[in-house]
Amino acid sequence: MDTRARVDAATVRRAVAGVADPELPPVTIGMLGMLHALTVTDAGDVLVELLPTYSGCPATEMIARDVRAAAESVDGVGTVTVRWRFDPPWTPDRIDAAGRAALREFGIAPPGGPLPDAPRPSGPDRSLPLAVGPTTSASEPPVPCPYCRSRDTVRDSAYGPTPCRDLRYCAACQQPFEAFRSR
Amino acid sequence: MSSATERPTSGLDAPPDGVTLPELDTPRTQVLLAIADDGLISGHRASHWTGVAPSLEEDLAFSTIAQDGLNHADLWYQVVLEADAGDSPAGVDALGLGRRPEAYRHAVICERPPRDFAYTLARHWVFDRFEAVRLAALAGSSDPAVAALAVKLRHEQRYHLEHAELWFDRLVGGGDEAVTRFHDAFADVLPEALGLFEPVAGEDAAIADGLLPVGHRKLREQWLEGAAPRLAQAGFGDLVPADDAAAPEDASGGRDGRHTDDFVVDVWPEMTRLYREHPGARW
Repeated sequence: MDTRARVDAATVRRAVAGVADPELPPVTIGMLGMLHALTVTDAGDVLVELLPTYSGCPATEMIARDVRAAAESVDGVGTVTVRWRFDPPWTPDRIDAAGRAALREFGIAPPGGPLPDAPRPSGPDRSLPLAVGPTTSASEPPVPCPYCRSRDTVRDSAYGPTPCRDLRYCAACQQPFEAFRSR
Repeated sequence: MSSATERPTSGLDAPPDGVTLPELDTPRTQVLLAIADDGLISGHRASHWTGVAPSLEEDLAFSTIAQDGLNHADLWYQVVLEADAGDSPAGVDALGLGRRPEAYRHAVICERPPRDFAYTLARHWVFDRFEAVRLAALAGSSDPAVAALAVKLRHEQRYHLEHAELWFDRLVGGGDEAVTRFHDAFADVLPEALGLFEPVAGEDAAIADGLLPVGHRKLREQWLEGAAPRLAQAGFGDLVPADDAAAPEDASGGRDGRHTDDFVVDVWPEMTRLYREHPGARW
Protein backbone atom coordinates (compact mmCIF):
# COMPACT_ATOMS: atom_id res chain seq x y z
CA MET A 1 0.00 0.00 0.00
CA ASP A 2 1.27 3.44 -0.93
CA THR A 3 1.58 5.44 2.25
CA ARG A 4 2.92 8.60 0.61
CA ALA A 5 0.75 11.63 0.90
CA ARG A 6 -0.63 12.74 -2.42
CA VAL A 7 1.28 15.67 -3.84
CA ASP A 8 -0.74 18.87 -3.92
CA ALA A 9 -0.68 20.22 -7.47
CA ALA A 10 -1.25 23.77 -6.28
CA THR A 11 1.88 23.59 -4.15
CA VAL A 12 3.97 22.38 -7.06
CA ARG A 13 2.44 25.03 -9.27
CA ARG A 14 3.32 27.79 -6.80
CA ALA A 15 6.91 26.54 -6.62
CA VAL A 16 7.26 26.41 -10.40
CA ALA A 17 5.52 29.73 -11.03
CA GLY A 18 8.01 31.37 -8.66
CA VAL A 19 11.03 30.49 -10.79
CA ALA A 20 12.83 33.68 -11.81
CA ASP A 21 13.59 34.55 -15.40
CA PRO A 22 17.41 34.30 -15.47
CA GLU A 23 17.70 37.44 -17.59
CA LEU A 24 15.07 39.43 -15.67
CA PRO A 25 15.54 38.24 -12.09
CA PRO A 26 12.69 40.25 -10.49
CA VAL A 27 10.21 38.67 -12.88
CA THR A 28 9.01 35.10 -12.52
CA ILE A 29 7.87 32.74 -15.22
CA GLY A 30 4.46 32.81 -13.57
CA MET A 31 4.25 36.59 -14.00
CA LEU A 32 5.38 36.29 -17.60
CA GLY A 33 2.63 33.79 -18.33
CA MET A 34 5.05 31.10 -19.46
CA LEU A 35 3.50 28.35 -17.34
CA HIS A 36 0.93 26.77 -19.59
CA ALA A 37 -0.05 23.63 -17.70
CA LEU A 38 1.09 21.54 -14.77
CA THR A 39 -0.24 18.13 -13.91
CA VAL A 40 0.61 15.78 -11.06
CA THR A 41 -0.15 12.07 -11.26
CA ASP A 42 -1.27 9.99 -8.30
CA ALA A 43 2.28 8.68 -8.10
CA GLY A 44 3.60 12.23 -7.72
CA ASP A 45 5.08 12.51 -11.21
CA VAL A 46 4.91 16.02 -12.59
CA LEU A 47 4.48 17.24 -16.15
CA VAL A 48 5.16 20.93 -16.71
CA GLU A 49 4.32 22.55 -20.02
CA LEU A 50 5.99 25.89 -20.69
CA LEU A 51 5.59 28.50 -23.40
CA PRO A 52 8.84 30.18 -24.48
CA THR A 53 8.61 33.97 -24.84
CA TYR A 54 10.92 34.02 -27.82
CA SER A 55 11.36 30.68 -29.50
CA GLY A 56 15.10 30.96 -29.64
CA CYS A 57 15.59 32.39 -26.18
CA PRO A 58 18.93 31.08 -24.91
CA ALA A 59 17.57 31.14 -21.35
CA THR A 60 15.16 28.28 -22.02
CA GLU A 61 17.64 25.61 -20.95
CA MET A 62 18.29 27.37 -17.64
CA ILE A 63 14.59 27.92 -17.10
CA ALA A 64 13.83 24.25 -17.72
CA ARG A 65 16.54 23.24 -15.25
CA ASP A 66 15.28 25.69 -12.60
CA VAL A 67 11.69 24.56 -13.13
CA ARG A 68 12.69 20.94 -12.69
CA ALA A 69 14.55 21.79 -9.48
CA ALA A 70 11.62 23.82 -8.15
CA ALA A 71 9.17 20.99 -8.77
CA GLU A 72 11.53 18.41 -7.26
CA SER A 73 11.85 20.51 -4.12
CA VAL A 74 8.23 19.76 -3.23
CA ASP A 75 7.88 16.76 -0.91
CA GLY A 76 6.66 13.60 -2.57
CA VAL A 77 7.32 14.67 -6.14
CA GLY A 78 8.67 11.86 -8.32
CA THR A 79 9.76 12.22 -11.91
CA VAL A 80 9.54 15.72 -13.36
CA THR A 81 9.09 16.22 -17.08
CA VAL A 82 9.45 19.71 -18.54
CA ARG A 83 8.10 20.25 -22.02
CA TRP A 84 8.21 23.37 -24.17
CA ARG A 85 5.35 24.00 -26.55
CA PHE A 86 4.49 26.63 -29.15
CA ASP A 87 0.76 26.10 -29.24
CA PRO A 88 -0.70 28.40 -28.03
CA PRO A 89 2.03 30.89 -28.97
CA TRP A 90 3.22 33.04 -26.08
CA THR A 91 2.35 36.70 -26.60
CA PRO A 92 3.17 39.69 -24.37
CA ASP A 93 -0.45 40.05 -23.26
CA ARG A 94 0.18 36.99 -21.08
CA ILE A 95 2.31 39.11 -18.72
CA ASP A 96 0.23 39.79 -15.62
CA ALA A 97 -0.12 43.07 -13.70
CA ALA A 98 2.52 42.11 -11.14
CA GLY A 99 4.90 41.22 -13.96
CA ARG A 100 4.31 44.55 -15.69
CA ALA A 101 4.99 46.42 -12.46
CA ALA A 102 8.14 44.36 -11.81
CA LEU A 103 9.44 44.99 -15.34
CA ARG A 104 8.87 48.73 -14.99
CA GLU A 105 10.55 48.72 -11.59
CA PHE A 106 13.51 46.94 -13.21
CA GLY A 107 13.74 49.72 -15.80
CA ILE A 108 12.17 47.82 -18.68
CA ALA A 109 9.00 49.19 -20.19
CA PRO A 110 6.33 46.50 -20.28
CA PRO A 111 4.43 45.91 -23.50
CA GLY A 112 0.92 47.18 -24.12
CA GLY A 113 -1.51 47.08 -21.24
CA PRO A 114 -3.01 50.08 -19.50
CA LEU A 115 -0.85 53.16 -19.85
CA PRO A 116 -0.10 55.11 -16.70
CA ASP A 117 -0.79 58.84 -16.87
CA ALA A 118 2.33 60.76 -17.55
CA PRO A 119 2.97 64.48 -17.23
CA ARG A 120 3.89 66.29 -20.39
CA PRO A 121 7.58 67.03 -20.28
CA SER A 122 8.58 70.55 -19.39
CA GLY A 123 11.82 72.44 -19.20
CA PRO A 124 14.37 73.47 -21.79
CA ASP A 125 14.48 72.23 -25.35
CA ARG A 126 15.34 68.63 -25.43
CA SER A 127 18.17 67.19 -27.40
CA LEU A 128 17.30 64.79 -30.19
CA PRO A 129 18.35 61.19 -29.82
CA LEU A 130 21.02 59.97 -32.18
CA ALA A 131 19.07 58.01 -34.74
CA VAL A 132 21.46 56.14 -36.97
CA GLY A 133 19.29 53.30 -38.03
CA PRO A 134 15.58 53.06 -38.72
CA THR A 135 13.56 53.92 -35.67
CA THR A 136 9.95 53.97 -34.65
CA SER A 137 7.34 52.37 -36.79
CA ALA A 138 4.55 54.88 -37.34
CA SER A 139 1.83 52.35 -36.63
CA GLU A 140 3.01 51.72 -33.10
CA PRO A 141 2.09 54.05 -30.20
CA PRO A 142 4.98 55.25 -28.05
CA VAL A 143 5.87 53.15 -25.02
CA PRO A 144 5.79 55.06 -21.72
CA CYS A 145 9.20 55.62 -20.16
CA PRO A 146 9.70 53.25 -17.18
CA TYR A 147 11.50 56.03 -15.26
CA CYS A 148 9.38 59.17 -15.72
CA ARG A 149 6.33 57.62 -17.43
CA SER A 150 6.37 60.17 -20.23
CA ARG A 151 5.08 58.98 -23.57
CA ASP A 152 7.45 61.30 -25.38
CA THR A 153 9.60 58.37 -26.41
CA VAL A 154 10.94 56.87 -29.60
CA ARG A 155 12.24 53.47 -30.50
CA ASP A 156 15.94 53.72 -31.26
CA SER A 157 16.33 50.14 -32.37
CA ALA A 158 13.98 47.24 -32.87
CA TYR A 159 16.70 44.98 -31.49
CA GLY A 160 18.13 45.00 -28.01
CA PRO A 161 20.33 42.99 -25.65
CA THR A 162 18.03 39.97 -25.78
CA PRO A 163 15.56 38.76 -28.42
CA CYS A 164 12.61 39.90 -26.27
CA ARG A 165 13.71 43.53 -25.77
CA ASP A 166 14.25 46.63 -27.91
CA LEU A 167 15.93 49.99 -27.31
CA ARG A 168 14.04 53.23 -26.69
CA TYR A 169 14.82 56.81 -25.78
CA CYS A 170 12.82 59.13 -23.57
CA ALA A 171 12.95 62.73 -24.72
CA ALA A 172 11.40 63.94 -21.45
CA CYS A 173 14.03 62.62 -19.04
CA GLN A 174 16.63 62.02 -21.74
CA GLN A 175 17.17 58.44 -20.70
CA PRO A 176 17.70 55.52 -22.98
CA PHE A 177 15.69 52.54 -21.80
CA GLU A 178 14.71 49.05 -22.84
CA ALA A 179 11.21 47.86 -23.60
CA PHE A 180 9.79 44.39 -23.71
CA ARG A 181 8.90 43.83 -27.34
CA SER A 182 5.25 44.30 -28.02
CA ARG A 183 4.52 41.07 -29.87
CA MET B 1 45.60 12.94 -44.58
CA SER B 2 42.37 14.82 -44.19
CA SER B 3 39.98 12.90 -42.01
CA ALA B 4 37.20 14.20 -44.23
CA THR B 5 38.26 11.81 -47.00
CA GLU B 6 37.61 8.82 -44.74
CA ARG B 7 34.01 9.82 -44.19
CA PRO B 8 31.05 8.94 -46.34
CA THR B 9 30.85 11.15 -49.37
CA SER B 10 27.23 12.01 -48.95
CA GLY B 11 24.44 12.26 -46.43
CA LEU B 12 25.04 12.05 -42.77
CA ASP B 13 28.10 11.17 -40.77
CA ALA B 14 27.51 8.42 -38.25
CA PRO B 15 25.57 10.08 -35.44
CA PRO B 16 26.93 9.81 -31.90
CA ASP B 17 25.92 6.89 -29.70
CA GLY B 18 22.39 7.12 -28.42
CA VAL B 19 21.21 9.39 -31.22
CA THR B 20 18.70 7.94 -33.63
CA LEU B 21 17.98 9.95 -36.71
CA PRO B 22 15.07 9.54 -39.07
CA GLU B 23 15.35 8.76 -42.77
CA LEU B 24 16.52 11.93 -44.45
CA ASP B 25 15.09 11.32 -47.90
CA THR B 26 11.39 11.44 -47.07
CA PRO B 27 9.43 14.38 -48.49
CA ARG B 28 8.63 15.62 -44.96
CA THR B 29 12.27 15.67 -43.92
CA GLN B 30 13.49 17.19 -47.17
CA VAL B 31 11.00 20.07 -46.87
CA LEU B 32 11.85 20.66 -43.22
CA LEU B 33 15.59 20.53 -43.90
CA ALA B 34 15.21 23.18 -46.63
CA ILE B 35 13.42 25.44 -44.16
CA ALA B 36 15.89 24.79 -41.35
CA ASP B 37 18.99 25.04 -43.53
CA ASP B 38 17.87 28.35 -45.05
CA GLY B 39 17.71 29.72 -41.50
CA LEU B 40 20.94 28.13 -40.32
CA ILE B 41 23.06 29.38 -43.20
CA SER B 42 21.43 32.81 -43.43
CA GLY B 43 21.99 33.12 -39.70
CA HIS B 44 25.67 32.27 -40.06
CA ARG B 45 26.12 34.92 -42.71
CA ALA B 46 24.17 37.50 -40.65
CA SER B 47 26.53 36.89 -37.74
CA HIS B 48 29.32 38.29 -39.89
CA TRP B 49 28.16 41.76 -38.81
CA THR B 50 28.49 41.12 -35.08
CA GLY B 51 31.04 43.64 -33.87
CA VAL B 52 31.60 45.27 -37.27
CA ALA B 53 28.18 46.60 -38.32
CA PRO B 54 28.01 50.29 -39.27
CA SER B 55 26.22 51.24 -36.05
CA LEU B 56 25.46 49.79 -32.64
CA GLU B 57 21.80 49.42 -33.60
CA GLU B 58 22.71 47.40 -36.68
CA ASP B 59 25.14 45.32 -34.68
CA LEU B 60 22.27 44.39 -32.37
CA ALA B 61 19.91 43.88 -35.28
CA PHE B 62 22.09 41.50 -37.26
CA SER B 63 23.33 39.70 -34.16
CA THR B 64 19.72 39.08 -33.14
CA ILE B 65 18.71 38.08 -36.67
CA ALA B 66 21.65 35.67 -36.69
CA GLN B 67 20.63 34.24 -33.33
CA ASP B 68 17.05 33.86 -34.53
CA GLY B 69 18.20 32.13 -37.72
CA LEU B 70 20.22 29.55 -35.82
CA ASN B 71 17.58 29.02 -33.17
CA HIS B 72 14.76 28.70 -35.66
CA ALA B 73 16.82 26.12 -37.53
CA ASP B 74 17.31 24.27 -34.23
CA LEU B 75 13.53 24.18 -33.73
CA TRP B 76 12.86 22.92 -37.26
CA TYR B 77 15.45 20.16 -36.73
CA GLN B 78 13.52 19.21 -33.60
CA VAL B 79 10.39 18.92 -35.73
CA VAL B 80 12.33 16.63 -38.08
CA LEU B 81 13.28 14.53 -35.05
CA GLU B 82 9.68 14.65 -33.79
CA ALA B 83 11.12 15.46 -30.40
CA ASP B 84 9.87 17.72 -27.67
CA ALA B 85 11.48 21.12 -27.86
CA GLY B 86 14.80 21.19 -26.05
CA ASP B 87 14.77 17.44 -25.63
CA SER B 88 17.25 16.39 -28.25
CA PRO B 89 20.34 18.59 -28.43
CA ALA B 90 22.57 15.76 -29.68
CA GLY B 91 20.12 14.91 -32.46
CA VAL B 92 19.84 18.56 -33.44
CA ASP B 93 23.63 18.84 -33.61
CA ALA B 94 23.81 15.72 -35.75
CA LEU B 95 21.37 17.25 -38.21
CA GLY B 96 22.69 20.80 -38.12
CA LEU B 97 26.39 20.01 -38.04
CA GLY B 98 26.81 16.33 -38.91
CA ARG B 99 25.83 16.34 -42.57
CA ARG B 100 28.16 16.48 -45.53
CA PRO B 101 27.87 19.72 -47.52
CA GLU B 102 25.86 18.07 -50.29
CA ALA B 103 23.16 17.03 -47.80
CA TYR B 104 22.28 20.65 -46.97
CA ARG B 105 19.14 21.92 -48.67
CA HIS B 106 19.40 25.72 -48.35
CA ALA B 107 19.32 27.92 -51.44
CA VAL B 108 22.69 29.13 -52.71
CA ILE B 109 21.77 32.81 -52.13
CA CYS B 110 21.85 32.09 -48.37
CA GLU B 111 25.48 30.99 -48.48
CA ARG B 112 26.83 34.03 -50.31
CA PRO B 113 29.16 36.22 -48.26
CA PRO B 114 27.61 39.42 -46.88
CA ARG B 115 29.81 41.62 -49.11
CA ASP B 116 28.90 45.23 -48.27
CA PHE B 117 25.94 46.57 -46.32
CA ALA B 118 23.96 47.33 -49.48
CA TYR B 119 24.21 43.70 -50.60
CA THR B 120 23.38 42.47 -47.09
CA LEU B 121 20.27 44.65 -46.92
CA ALA B 122 19.07 43.72 -50.41
CA ARG B 123 19.39 40.01 -49.60
CA HIS B 124 17.80 40.58 -46.18
CA TRP B 125 14.77 42.20 -47.86
CA VAL B 126 14.40 39.48 -50.48
CA PHE B 127 14.94 36.61 -48.05
CA ASP B 128 12.68 37.88 -45.28
CA ARG B 129 9.85 38.55 -47.72
CA PHE B 130 10.33 34.97 -48.89
CA GLU B 131 10.35 33.64 -45.33
CA ALA B 132 7.20 35.62 -44.58
CA VAL B 133 5.20 34.01 -47.38
CA ARG B 134 6.58 30.57 -46.61
CA LEU B 135 5.80 30.81 -42.88
CA ALA B 136 2.31 32.07 -43.71
CA ALA B 137 1.82 28.97 -45.84
CA LEU B 138 3.28 26.65 -43.19
CA ALA B 139 0.93 28.07 -40.55
CA GLY B 140 -1.77 26.14 -42.43
CA SER B 141 0.18 22.88 -42.52
CA SER B 142 -1.68 19.62 -41.93
CA ASP B 143 1.18 18.63 -39.61
CA PRO B 144 0.32 20.12 -36.18
CA ALA B 145 3.96 20.47 -35.08
CA VAL B 146 4.82 22.32 -38.29
CA ALA B 147 1.79 24.61 -38.05
CA ALA B 148 2.36 25.46 -34.37
CA LEU B 149 6.00 26.36 -34.91
CA ALA B 150 5.22 28.43 -38.01
CA VAL B 151 2.60 30.43 -36.10
CA LYS B 152 5.10 31.10 -33.33
CA LEU B 153 7.92 32.07 -35.68
CA ARG B 154 5.74 34.48 -37.66
CA HIS B 155 5.54 36.67 -34.54
CA GLU B 156 9.31 36.91 -34.49
CA GLN B 157 10.01 37.02 -38.20
CA ARG B 158 7.88 40.17 -38.55
CA TYR B 159 10.67 42.06 -36.79
CA HIS B 160 13.13 40.94 -39.44
CA LEU B 161 10.77 42.00 -42.19
CA GLU B 162 10.08 45.36 -40.58
CA HIS B 163 13.81 45.97 -40.24
CA ALA B 164 14.37 45.10 -43.89
CA GLU B 165 11.48 47.31 -45.04
CA LEU B 166 12.63 50.31 -43.01
CA TRP B 167 16.06 50.07 -44.61
CA PHE B 168 14.52 49.61 -48.04
CA ASP B 169 12.57 52.85 -47.67
CA ARG B 170 15.52 54.67 -46.19
CA LEU B 171 17.90 53.70 -48.99
CA VAL B 172 15.55 54.20 -51.94
CA GLY B 173 14.64 57.59 -50.45
CA GLY B 174 18.29 58.45 -49.89
CA GLY B 175 20.92 60.19 -51.97
CA ASP B 176 22.33 59.10 -55.30
CA GLU B 177 24.99 56.89 -53.79
CA ALA B 178 22.49 55.04 -51.62
CA VAL B 179 20.11 54.47 -54.54
CA THR B 180 22.86 53.42 -56.95
CA ARG B 181 24.51 51.01 -54.56
CA PHE B 182 21.19 49.52 -53.50
CA HIS B 183 20.18 49.10 -57.15
CA ASP B 184 23.48 47.37 -57.95
CA ALA B 185 23.05 45.10 -54.95
CA PHE B 186 19.57 44.06 -56.08
CA ALA B 187 20.96 43.42 -59.56
CA ASP B 188 23.22 40.81 -57.93
CA VAL B 189 20.69 39.45 -55.45
CA LEU B 190 17.46 39.11 -57.40
CA PRO B 191 18.54 36.61 -60.08
CA GLU B 192 20.25 34.37 -57.49
CA ALA B 193 17.28 34.66 -55.13
CA LEU B 194 15.22 32.66 -57.61
CA GLY B 195 17.04 29.60 -56.25
CA LEU B 196 14.96 30.01 -53.08
CA PHE B 197 11.88 28.98 -55.02
CA GLU B 198 13.22 25.73 -56.42
CA PRO B 199 11.33 22.72 -55.05
CA VAL B 200 12.95 20.09 -52.87
CA ALA B 201 12.93 16.40 -53.76
CA GLY B 202 9.51 14.93 -53.10
CA GLU B 203 7.88 18.32 -52.70
CA ASP B 204 4.79 17.34 -54.71
CA ALA B 205 4.03 14.65 -52.14
CA ALA B 206 4.47 17.15 -49.29
CA ILE B 207 2.07 19.52 -51.04
CA ALA B 208 -0.43 16.73 -51.68
CA ASP B 209 -0.62 15.67 -48.04
CA GLY B 210 -0.81 19.26 -46.82
CA LEU B 211 2.51 19.33 -44.96
CA LEU B 212 3.62 22.19 -47.22
CA PRO B 213 0.31 23.76 -48.24
CA VAL B 214 1.94 26.01 -50.84
CA GLY B 215 4.91 24.71 -52.83
CA HIS B 216 8.04 26.73 -53.54
CA ARG B 217 7.03 27.42 -57.16
CA LYS B 218 3.75 28.91 -56.00
CA LEU B 219 5.52 30.80 -53.20
CA ARG B 220 7.52 32.53 -55.92
CA GLU B 221 4.32 33.99 -57.34
CA GLN B 222 3.19 35.16 -53.90
CA TRP B 223 6.58 36.66 -53.17
CA LEU B 224 6.72 38.44 -56.52
CA GLU B 225 3.21 39.78 -56.08
CA GLY B 226 4.41 41.70 -53.03
CA ALA B 227 7.99 42.46 -54.08
CA ALA B 228 7.49 43.58 -57.68
CA PRO B 229 5.38 46.71 -56.97
CA ARG B 230 7.79 47.80 -54.20
CA LEU B 231 10.77 47.38 -56.53
CA ALA B 232 9.00 49.20 -59.37
CA GLN B 233 8.00 52.05 -57.09
CA ALA B 234 11.60 52.38 -55.96
CA GLY B 235 12.71 52.77 -59.56
CA PHE B 236 14.13 49.25 -59.66
CA GLY B 237 11.47 47.91 -62.02
CA ASP B 238 14.16 46.90 -64.53
CA LEU B 239 15.35 44.29 -62.02
CA VAL B 240 12.04 42.51 -61.39
CA PRO B 241 12.58 38.89 -62.46
CA ALA B 242 10.53 37.75 -65.44
CA ASP B 243 7.96 35.05 -64.77
CA ASP B 244 9.99 32.47 -66.69
CA ALA B 245 13.41 33.54 -65.38
CA ALA B 246 15.53 30.89 -63.68
CA ALA B 247 18.36 31.32 -61.21
CA PRO B 248 21.82 31.44 -62.83
CA GLU B 249 23.41 28.00 -63.12
CA ASP B 250 25.81 28.41 -60.19
CA ALA B 251 23.10 29.79 -57.88
CA SER B 252 20.71 26.98 -58.72
CA GLY B 253 20.39 23.52 -57.20
CA GLY B 254 20.83 24.31 -53.51
CA ARG B 255 17.62 22.42 -52.75
CA ASP B 256 19.28 19.35 -54.31
CA GLY B 257 22.52 19.84 -52.39
CA ARG B 258 24.55 21.58 -55.10
CA HIS B 259 26.49 24.28 -53.29
CA THR B 260 29.27 26.66 -54.20
CA ASP B 261 32.67 27.13 -52.62
CA ASP B 262 31.08 29.90 -50.55
CA PHE B 263 29.51 27.06 -48.58
CA VAL B 264 31.68 24.02 -49.21
CA VAL B 265 35.01 25.74 -48.64
CA ASP B 266 33.99 28.73 -46.52
CA VAL B 267 30.91 28.30 -44.27
CA TRP B 268 30.69 24.53 -43.85
CA PRO B 269 34.24 23.74 -42.63
CA GLU B 270 34.19 26.50 -40.05
CA MET B 271 30.61 25.90 -38.93
CA THR B 272 31.11 22.17 -38.41
CA ARG B 273 34.73 22.08 -37.30
CA LEU B 274 34.19 21.85 -33.56
CA TYR B 275 31.52 19.20 -34.04
CA ARG B 276 33.75 17.15 -36.34
CA GLU B 277 36.91 17.44 -34.27
CA HIS B 278 35.30 16.77 -30.91
CA PRO B 279 32.64 14.11 -31.45
CA GLY B 280 30.01 14.19 -28.75
CA ALA B 281 31.07 17.59 -27.40
CA ARG B 282 28.32 19.49 -25.59
CA TRP B 283 27.99 23.27 -25.51
